[in-house]
Amino acid sequence: MRDIYHDELDDIGNRVLMMINLVAVAMQRATEALLDANLALADQVIADDDRVDALRAELEDRTFQVIAQQAPVATDLRVLIATNQVSSDLERMGDLAHHVAKTARLRYPDVAVPPEIRDVIRQMGEVAASLVTKVADVVEGRDVALAQAIEEEDDSMDALLRKLFTVVLSPNWARGTEAAIDTTLLGRYYERYADHAVAVARRTVFIVTGRRA
Amino acid sequence: MAKRIDVKDVDIYYGKFQAVRGVNLTIEPRSVTAFIGPSGCGKSTVLRTLNRMHEVVPGARVSGDVLLDGEDIYGSSVDPVNVRRTIGMVFQRPNPFPTMSIYDNVVAGLKLQGTRMRKHELDDAVERSLVSANLWHEVRSRLKKPGSGLSGGQQQRLCIARAIAVQPQVLLMDEPCSALDPISTLAIEDLIQQLKATYTIVIVTHNMQQAARVSDRTAFFNLAGVSQPGELVEMDDTEKIFSNPSDKRTEDYISGRFG
Repeated sequence: MRDIYHDELDDIGNRVLMMINLVAVAMQRATEALLDANLALADQVIADDDRVDALRAELEDRTFQVIAQQAPVATDLRVLIATNQVSSDLERMGDLAHHVAKTARLRYPDVAVPPEIRDVIRQMGEVAASLVTKVADVVEGRDVALAQAIEEEDDSMDALLRKLFTVVLSPNWARGTEAAIDTTLLGRYYERYADHAVAVARRTVFIVTGRRA
Repeated sequence: MAKRIDVKDVDIYYGKFQAVRGVNLTIEPRSVTAFIGPSGCGKSTVLRTLNRMHEVVPGARVSGDVLLDGEDIYGSSVDPVNVRRTIGMVFQRPNPFPTMSIYDNVVAGLKLQGTRMRKHELDDAVERSLVSANLWHEVRSRLKKPGSGLSGGQQQRLCIARAIAVQPQVLLMDEPCSALDPISTLAIEDLIQQLKATYTIVIVTHNMQQAARVSDRTAFFNLAGVSQPGELVEMDDTEKIFSNPSDKRTEDYISGRFG
């Protein structure tokens, strides 16, 4: 029954997973480019963000068409509504990885991150990578329990941001205003990236339960 | 005027064949309830037991109770003709009496009842019923013309006018739009919304979007299994049924995964 419709819904789901994978790789590479001042890798992240943007546009068009033509209801409708919101979060996550890569490129050949911040940023990159991997599992398996676990992991990202602020605001900060702004913004990019990942997980809870998480 | 219907433990048989089993549901006054489900699941059969219309099929019988404001419509002292007057019905195909004028179609039920009415009383009943059925302005200048000369959508509204002329308390509609074009369908749907202010309405429809548009409550019927009778799977607020039904079978049906 309605095979073409259900194939289309499945395919839309696969495109969302593809987007999650792209933004996961983007942040991972952006972090590496940032910590190692790797210009080629930063450029690749910046170029690849177009693919994320294109997928978001494609998903918007396809969900619109299915809603217009197939009158989806219940879970199918929640999937489509959530897909639109999720793809917007993922596009933003792609943008944040892109910002990190641009910071790396802007300061090249220097390393944009001062040594005393390096470890915090590295940890933020690790938390971001761990979160987005779990988000992929949440979305693929529609795993409500894991979605709730992600919220806690996001708390550790917030703690890292506070730690970063403590360093920058300390009287011992000797790197000047520009580095302070760079560092503050970088911390903010990771923290926002994690928040959008949590939002994606929450949308998955909505798909499963019909209630906002 | 509108009345509440309680269906309790109803089983429906045609001879030895059990068509429907174990139906329990309540239909509130001044609401629209939609019956949905795949073909052969018994939704029309249940609808017809609500005004004893199924009895016209030889061998048909019902066990359990159907209560209209607490009174059993299958009670031994109850006249089925009276039940059908109180609980009117509109059918799938518009079926105005072909040789009768529009006017005579509307008053047919009143005349069959044997109520003696003066000309002006009949005129009033015709106007009131046609206004309620949203047909008055289209036919007021040709009331003496045959009902069969109207379009399909107009004929169906004429049938609704005929059904409400006898001032029933409940209106049953068995796929009232399935023989109509989309514009006439929307006209009937608007009419259903207006009529629910006065009547209790139950509609059987194959069009799930129609159920979603017009009804307050939706009941999903399905066969209990291969060669099994039909049963009520789930009944809930229409909003709930189409956004987050409790039963997976309901979800699968409304999403087009079977049926």
